[in-house]
Amino acid sequence: MTTAPINVPVGGPAGEARRRGIGSRPMVTALLTAVAVVVSAAFILPAAWILIGSFRPTDDILSSMSPLSWQLFVPSHVTLDNYSRLLVDSGFSRALLNSAFVCIASVLIGLLVSAMAAYTLAVFRFPGRNLVFALVVISFMVPFEAIAIPLSQQFISWGLGNSLVGLILPGIGNGLAVFNLRQYFLGIPTSYREAAMLDGASEPRILFLLYLRISGPALTNSAVLIFLGQWTAYLWPLLVISNTRLQLAPVALASTFGERSADYGQNFAGTVLLALVPAVSMLVLQRFFGRLSLTSGEK
Amino acid sequence: MTLSTQPLTRRRFISAAAAIGSTTLLVTACGGGGGATSAPSAGGWTIPTTDPTATINVLSHLGLKTDHMQDVVDAFEKAHPTIKVNFETVPFDSLASTIDARVANKDGSPDVYWADQPRISALAARGEAEDLTSAFSSYKSTFAPTAYDAGIYQDKLWALPIANSTQLLYYNKTLLKKAGLADPSASTDQRMTWEQLITDAKKAKDAGAQYGFLFGQFDRYYQLEPLAVQLGGSPGASGNGNLTPDFASDAWVKALTWYGSIFADGTAPKGLASEQTDPAFLGGRAAYMVEGPWLLPQLKTSKVDWGVAPQPVFAGGKPATPTGSWSLAMNPFSKQKEAAAIFLRWMAIDDGGGGYIKYLPSPELAASVEGKKVYFAKDVFSTPQGQDAAKIIDFETANTAVNRVSTIGYIEFETIMNQMYADVRNGADPKTSVDKSTAQLKTAWQKYQ
Amino acid sequence: MTALRTTPDRPEPLRRRRAGRRLELFWGAVFLAPVLVSLVVLRIVPAVGAISASLYKAFPGGIIPATYAGLQNYRSLFGDPNFNDTIVRTIVFNLIINPLQILVALLVAVLFVQRIPLVGLWRTLLFVPVTVPVVGSCIAWGAALNPEGPVNAIISALGGKPQPFFTSPGQALACIMVIASWIGIGYWMLFLVSGLQAIPEELYDAAKIDRAGPVRTFINITIPMLRRPLLFVLVADTVANFVLFVPVQLLTGGGPQSSTTLLMFEAYRTSYAYGSRNLGAAQVVLLTAIMLFFVLLQFRLLREEGES
Repeated sequence: MTTAPINVPVGGPAGEARRRGIGSRPMVTALLTAVAVVVSAAFILPAAWILIGSFRPTDDILSSMSPLSWQLFVPSHVTLDNYSRLLVDSGFSRALLNSAFVCIASVLIGLLVSAMAAYTLAVFRFPGRNLVFALVVISFMVPFEAIAIPLSQQFISWGLGNSLVGLILPGIGNGLAVFNLRQYFLGIPTSYREAAMLDGASEPRILFLLYLRISGPALTNSAVLIFLGQWTAYLWPLLVISNTRLQLAPVALASTFGERSADYGQNFAGTVLLALVPAVSMLVLQRFFGRLSLTSGEK
Repeated sequence: MTLSTQPLTRRRFISAAAAIGSTTLLVTACGGGGGATSAPSAGGWTIPTTDPTATINVLSHLGLKTDHMQDVVDAFEKAHPTIKVNFETVPFDSLASTIDARVANKDGSPDVYWADQPRISALAARGEAEDLTSAFSSYKSTFAPTAYDAGIYQDKLWALPIANSTQLLYYNKTLLKKAGLADPSASTDQRMTWEQLITDAKKAKDAGAQYGFLFGQFDRYYQLEPLAVQLGGSPGASGNGNLTPDFASDAWVKALTWYGSIFADGTAPKGLASEQTDPAFLGGRAAYMVEGPWLLPQLKTSKVDWGVAPQPVFAGGKPATPTGSWSLAMNPFSKQKEAAAIFLRWMAIDDGGGGYIKYLPSPELAASVEGKKVYFAKDVFSTPQGQDAAKIIDFETANTAVNRVSTIGYIEFETIMNQMYADVRNGADPKTSVDKSTAQLKTAWQKYQ
Repeated sequence: MTALRTTPDRPEPLRRRRAGRRLELFWGAVFLAPVLVSLVVLRIVPAVGAISASLYKAFPGGIIPATYAGLQNYRSLFGDPNFNDTIVRTIVFNLIINPLQILVALLVAVLFVQRIPLVGLWRTLLFVPVTVPVVGSCIAWGAALNPEGPVNAIISALGGKPQPFFTSPGQALACIMVIASWIGIGYWMLFLVSGLQAIPEELYDAAKIDRAGPVRTFINITIPMLRRPLLFVLVADTVANFVLFVPVQLLTGGGPQSSTTLLMFEAYRTSYAYGSRNLGAAQVVLLTAIMLFFVLLQFRLLREEGES
């Protein structure tokens, strides 16, 4: 088997960041920038309200909701109390760590498994290929709530209740991630693979050293799919975990709303923390995978 | 490209066989309606004289730290050192469905769980509660009658009450003064009428209160059932097993019309959620509010100059107040029924009214007669208004409390009722809403006929 | 494997082709096995179990064993006018929201691949709603769309009439659409931006040489080249909107006057709140069937040559 490096032809989908403007006229750019600012601001406003609210006492949040005044976005009393009570007193920090562990493990294993399957579905031709692809599509069409209870009973009978493994396993087979990678792989010219095979490369080498190396964006997007799917999981941990020490963050967060009262301040603090992790991870992933859709490569 | 078909055929056959095999397995399992085969051993246990050594799992929406249940659990383990308690908390909104799913696992966990009193009939009918009659029916007289009756279904006892509730009319003296309104009397002989209350509330709103009147829980059957009952209506269902919808009567339509009217002119707010009502009154933004006794400790630490009166009644109607709270039920599949029974008895009965009431730091209205005395001795009732409140609570729980309707179809009932109230609040015509909801409920209850 | 030989020997190349083919199939099986096993065991088999459960009837709760009932569940569902309304409402909801969301996501994606300053920041801001837990989003939007809340205040300030939003049967479902779109558009924008960036520069250069305007370029080059990511986004969005129910549960409970009772919410309530798991399974089967129809339509629409 040859040990020569696999050549990646330049150009095509793996090229560097390109630049293209509809017109380089400054007026058009200014107009587009203005639109971008307005759209982004409109989108971020509700999230900004939650962020600000996480630093206010609950009563301040509620009293400023109506009648409307500038106090909606300006706290009359800033406090770190929500965060300290949430993280120190209520065991939310442990839940956050549990969630982080489960999600990272799910992404690492899930990406590997999905990439392998997507490669097979995009590149190989074999009888039953369409059946397998149909199974992949159907798997993410079935609402999870419909199968959650019988599946949880199965898991508990297999001894996977109250275990981190029991939380990770359902996140590994993600049909959407397979679908996403398959679409991307279909766009990679077959000539690359043929060239690699002429060089004597085996299938694993082609997948891991060729396809994956030029699939940064698709891998990151699929990682986001898997990560968010597990990060926001609520029903599954509720059914499968009865030991509070193993519970995940979304369930822990829901406890801020009790029977008779709702601690909006703490809820917002937990919401900010839960939003922060995927947002920051996205930024980190981009650096790691190089060019990425969120911050690079304008056209 | 020519294909070599032999390995493919073999591989496809094996995978197909595996798929068919596992499918068949699961079809038979699911078709049978459940996994485990063990049937619950109903009864067959008594409360032992010496404690067994056991660990029991308890499921609740209350937190060990956030709701101070740790104190209660510690006290129990001190009194019964050989029984250890694994206390599990789930979010309140998910409690009911979590109980359903866990008990249906048939593995015996949790051994004890918090049961909402009006749902006990449904729980019993589904086989999710253990029959407690032989062990606990002798303690009937230690409980308030409505609380005990909530646990009865088909003449058997299925859960022990540990808490109760009622409603009072709270008012903000400052806001009333601003509108030139007199404080309502705290005497249960001189109840306000709803009509008078709304007139006054409107005046208070016009004089500057943000909210004229608030219900503690808008659009909830718990809060609003007594409105129709005061006018002579039924609790909402009647007939065999209370499985016939009965809220289309004149009394119900009249009560609903009144309910819709308080929002139409802005006296009560349309968009305020139930979680936001307490903070609104505690923040001094509401003139009048009908809410439960759990507001009292919070009022002590707030800056509101408040007073308390009995819940109003319709002119010409008979007083009726909401009631009911939590009970404890036992899992019929539990493998530690003796230990669970000891826990039940300690929580609801032992130590002069139940360990739950005695050791819970915050005041909780007890379902037991003795526990009520412990409750009224708490600090929160030491002020003059506190004493007014204590008298009212004592009177209402003993005389005007009406339980929510007892039916195995309670969950569908309450969901549809709450939706109906919300629709009326948002301006729907009461008669149309009542008819639509009756039809919806009839469909939902078909499975029980 | 050594370098290819070009001698006209017949058996050698044929054997090597067969060996290569067998090797490819071997790797195919190895690569496919983990996902296939996991999907079959954790999704497909339970889904078949749900279909089978829909053919049984049981007392609510899941403890009392079920009895076989054939299509009785389906018959009672279709005999209920409220349920038929729910189906129609769900289909109409999806017919409106899916194209709308994809269109907006596409426009936003196109906007954010332009050469404007801080484009990475704008994309991130649009993605933030995706990361916010849905309970928080619903609280924020519930407060914003409160009849006495900020959005009505802005409308009044601009001279319009305050709207009832969630308190009106005519507007509540539209409000749910707004919230679902706020949450989802950043997500789909991400995939479409990747797709846009993958379009080779040469095609745009060729279009410039042909003096094609931006709209023609968009229709004749961008859209066809976006076919693959667009299919993914369309299908994924369709599924997401068909299984949407949490905002309904948190904000409207299916009201007012059943105007926001979507099929997934109804199925969730039937299974989890009422405990009627078999009836709920029948509702989910119907939901998945309707979803499948739309998804198949989309696969047909965006099909490429040589695929099916």
